[in-house]
Amino acid sequence: MAKEVFMPKLSSTMEEGTLLEWFKEEGDSVEVGEPLFEIMTDKINIEVESYEEGVLLKRYYDVDAEIPVNAVIGYVGEEGENVPENPPEAGADNGEGAEEETARSEADASADEVQDGTGDDKVRATPAARRIAREANVNLASVQGSGPKGRRHEHDVKNVLDSTKATPLADKIAADQGVDLSAVEGSGPHGKVRKDDVLQHTTHAAAQSVPADDVERIKLKGLRKAVADKMVQSTTEIPHVTLTSEIDMTHVIDVRKTLLPIIEKQTGYRVSYTEILMKAVSQLMDAHPRVNASLDGNEIVLNKSVNIGLAVAVEDGLIVPSVKDADKKGLAQLTKVSKTLGQKARDNKLTPDEMAGSTFSISNLGMYAIDGFTPIINPPETAILGVGRIVEKPVVIDGEIEVRPIMTLSLSFDHRAIDGAPAAAFLTDLKERLENPYGLLI
Amino acid sequence: MKCYNLAIIGAGPGGYVAAIRAAKEGLSVALVSGDDLGGTCLNRGCIPSKTMLKHVEVIENIKGAKTYGITVNDFSFSIKDMVGRKTKVVKTLKNGIKALMKQNKIDVFDGIGTVNKDKTVVIKGGGSAETIQADNVILANGSKPFIPTLPGIDAVDYYTSDTIFDIEEVPSDMVIMGGGVIGLEIACIFNSLDTNVEIVEMADRILPTEDREASDYMKRELSKKGIGIQTDAKITGFSKNGRKTVVEVESADSTKNTLETDSVLVAVGREPNLTGIENLGVTFDGKFVKVDPNLQTTVDGIYAIGDLIGGYQLAHAASEEGIRAVTHIAGSAPPPASPIPRCVYTFPEVASVGMTEDQAKKHGYRIRTKKVDIAANGKAIAAGETSGFMKLISEEKYGEMLGVVMVGAHVTEMISQATAYMHLEGMVEELDTMVFPHPTVSEALGEAGSAWLEKGIHYS
Repeated sequence: MAKEVFMPKLSSTMEEGTLLEWFKEEGDSVEVGEPLFEIMTDKINIEVESYEEGVLLKRYYDVDAEIPVNAVIGYVGEEGENVPENPPEAGADNGEGAEEETARSEADASADEVQDGTGDDKVRATPAARRIAREANVNLASVQGSGPKGRRHEHDVKNVLDSTKATPLADKIAADQGVDLSAVEGSGPHGKVRKDDVLQHTTHAAAQSVPADDVERIKLKGLRKAVADKMVQSTTEIPHVTLTSEIDMTHVIDVRKTLLPIIEKQTGYRVSYTEILMKAVSQLMDAHPRVNASLDGNEIVLNKSVNIGLAVAVEDGLIVPSVKDADKKGLAQLTKVSKTLGQKARDNKLTPDEMAGSTFSISNLGMYAIDGFTPIINPPETAILGVGRIVEKPVVIDGEIEVRPIMTLSLSFDHRAIDGAPAAAFLTDLKERLENPYGLLI
Repeated sequence: MKCYNLAIIGAGPGGYVAAIRAAKEGLSVALVSGDDLGGTCLNRGCIPSKTMLKHVEVIENIKGAKTYGITVNDFSFSIKDMVGRKTKVVKTLKNGIKALMKQNKIDVFDGIGTVNKDKTVVIKGGGSAETIQADNVILANGSKPFIPTLPGIDAVDYYTSDTIFDIEEVPSDMVIMGGGVIGLEIACIFNSLDTNVEIVEMADRILPTEDREASDYMKRELSKKGIGIQTDAKITGFSKNGRKTVVEVESADSTKNTLETDSVLVAVGREPNLTGIENLGVTFDGKFVKVDPNLQTTVDGIYAIGDLIGGYQLAHAASEEGIRAVTHIAGSAPPPASPIPRCVYTFPEVASVGMTEDQAKKHGYRIRTKKVDIAANGKAIAAGETSGFMKLISEEKYGEMLGVVMVGAHVTEMISQATAYMHLEGMVEELDTMVFPHPTVSEALGEAGSAWLEKGIHYS
């Protein structure tokens, strides 16, 4: 009996995945655990392995297709088995053989069928339909659903949009001038396209086509798009405040020098200032629980475990793997875990679990000529620490000018969850701990 | 000091409508009314004139009753009672606005407001002064009749639209300076009251801002009623001759004549009322306050609407501008601009929306027009109201409706059909396929559409 291949749901926020590559042709044989295809989500690229052994009987989607989670994207079975010509609906009853998976899909799908809040009637809709309806400001209850139990699908919402999108005049002008109405932003109610919108679109397009040779346009997609969306979300939703403090790193440098060969011998990795900071930060969380918190709607969630997110620059993007239980790890282990995660991030091999669950993040730009900056909080966290370079500066100590290695720390915090004074107290404690690093041993 | 999200200066159809919309948007609103709730529109404009026009329409019906086979042996009228009813109508509507203000929790201040740059408003009235602070201010001060400087004008008595609707005696003759909307409506009122009316208009036609065909048609209609019309004629001075006023008129070819009359109405336009905003520092565009597309003046957070900014000096234009300003203050995107319809309540009425034929040509549109006469319309013939026409001005390529002009009985009630088409960007093709009920005068609009497409049924 042929088994479906599903688009996996890899995170709670994942609604669809983009098919990047098929590793098998139709008719190829497949082993259990063998990579079948690669997808990109809003967070990560990942190879999906086959759960079944057999022959890849059907591929329903081509590369670059955006596919909702739990949709059937192919079949694996015995050679010559019959499978549907078109992909069955996600969550639909596909027969006995697929019972288990089907049940799971149903559960996932119905979890999304939450009440719309506009009336007493439950409005059933797929996540994609919900998203489009939200963006176009369409009341889902007014859309006729074509799915089982009246569930609204993406195309149902699109149908409604298509039929109400333009004034008769705009429609006629668009048809005459070969303008794709769906690409025109409408200024009328519910985005209804008016004559002026079409004309503006054509003049804008004409204006854009002139200097096309002088610029290179890069579409925001995949990880770039995910980073862009997250940054917009963070900066628009979170009232950021950034505090900065200069740290005398004399003693931390000594500590690192002493530990470097020991840890390298033990783990094969060289300890860096990031891990020492991670250690110092994790130790302080007990006394400053608000900094190790998440904001969930109207509630501040104080996290028991300390998972430090580590901002890693990768090709055309930024990934934040999470070092779990950092407060319970020694420096050698922190070094090993951090380095491993960093490498996996750059190789695009992180698992979803390794990217989830951070409670506080550190972003280190110390390898550049950067002193201080305003790091952007990684929601739902409530704070992030930005680390600058260590540079020798004249400082006054006991009335004498001395040259000391100085590093600037920039702490951005969510002012909804934390006030200035407690955030300042945290940064002050951190400075104290780093300037007297033997406290790290206690 | 009381603080408000929004203070509105002036309680005319611009100001009070903006106040209600702002209250519905959740803003706290102060309305500085100048003791003039309803403004010019309600107290000295739209409503008084429409009331008086209804009164004389009844007189016209009685006078013409014989054509319907009805003999009225005798009738009389009292100007005092007519003005009395007008005052009652105004009072009813004023109470309505008062109730709306209360219902929407708008604080109404009955004094005159002086606006400062820091958005404090000093309100003086009844011997006391109060200062309020606002986040935003809408100036809706309105306008007053413009009185030209002419030799002898100060020495003679004259009416304006401010005073004419409280007239105590019907004059035997009246010279009306200005053949615009106000001049023509008042001419119709007094013509029906058997006053000898003479209109003197400087432009080459009456209703100079309307479509030329409407002007020409109205000149013929009004002349038929016995209203004297001089166009291309300038009043150069006034003098007294006993109880009579002598009006000196100079024609375009420099010939001069004089008119002897016992009343004069000056109706040559309106100028913005700048009381209380003299020291505000807003920039002007000629006589009018300069605003951007969101109705904001050059002073941040201070908006201006209505007659103060020129454009169409119409009540509903002011209301639309008020709502647009509030939309911007509330931080929402303004709706796309919609064409402003224009109504003249003469006998017959004139109503139009969009561009005139001349304006459409000037804008460079390739247009075609179609005019159908109401004379052949069943309902019009049955009613004995066959004067007028409906004219469609459409762009040729896409059939976009650019303008509609209507002349005839009740056309002010029908122009909204054309406005709806243009607002929703309908085309002539759809006008042709839309079903109009029979018998109605509005069928003429559908016929104009079909005829424009050379598919006319009763017209070609």
